[in-house]
Amino acid sequence: MFDILEPLLFFVFAIGIIGAGACVVLLRRITAQALLMALTFASMAGMFLLLGAETIALFQVLIYVGAITILILFGVMFTKQDDRGYGLFFQRQTPWAAAITLVIGVPVAFLAFSFKDPITPSAKGGDLIPLAGSLFTDYAFPFEVASVLLLAALVGAIVLVKQDER
Amino acid sequence: MTVPLGAFIAVSAGLFFIGAAGVLVRRNAVVILMCVELMLNASNLALVAFSRRAGQLGAGNPLDQRGSVFVVFVFVIAAAEVAVGLAIILAAYRNRPTVNVDEIRGMKG
Repeated sequence: MFDILEPLLFFVFAIGIIGAGACVVLLRRITAQALLMALTFASMAGMFLLLGAETIALFQVLIYVGAITILILFGVMFTKQDDRGYGLFFQRQTPWAAAITLVIGVPVAFLAFSFKDPITPSAKGGDLIPLAGSLFTDYAFPFEVASVLLLAALVGAIVLVKQDER
Repeated sequence: MTVPLGAFIAVSAGLFFIGAAGVLVRRNAVVILMCVELMLNASNLALVAFSRRAGQLGAGNPLDQRGSVFVVFVFVIAAAEVAVGLAIILAAYRNRPTVNVDEIRGMKG
């Protein structure tokens, strides 16, 4: 029974990712778009679970579904939305765009489906301990640099949004 | 019956295409930011899938989590990017109340 469960879950998550992602691009209601983006991120967390990366799935839910979606929703509510829709969508460049998309997309599709290795979930214990070991020994310096980057982004965001008091 | 690696990569490529199309087609700055997030997330899926394969093929340590470490850094970059991006959008909005990127020409000479 579990043999069929894994492809079934994969299809559910794939439809969630591709369908909700397409709706983010095609819809014109900004709040629905933001919530569908959250659905895309949640389905992506399910994909990470299927790949056996539980810690990454947890980070995905915490950071993307939690923090980034809320930030985007704040951005939506602080601005007046008068989206006039597709800027360049129905112009005469459409045949060119379709041709270029085919030229890029067909090789990418062939390349993607050329990987036929089955993905089996990791045997035991999850990925938290190897991930933490790798992150805090081999990649300790980039980790610290990332913390400095986050601090710089925090200060920069505050400075950008702060009202002038003069 | 397991899911092949190519299916994950195909989903990743599809989401990346969708995000790229959204960045090019939409004119709303907040929607463009959302589509950039979609593209970053698609790259995360490819990184985790290939990392899992490298661990299975015995290319080095099976406990090697390099792909997942990169995904963690991508999370950091994405969080910083969306915070600074929204701050820039709000600052531009205060200057001129629109989020349409065609109408924001303040830095054009």
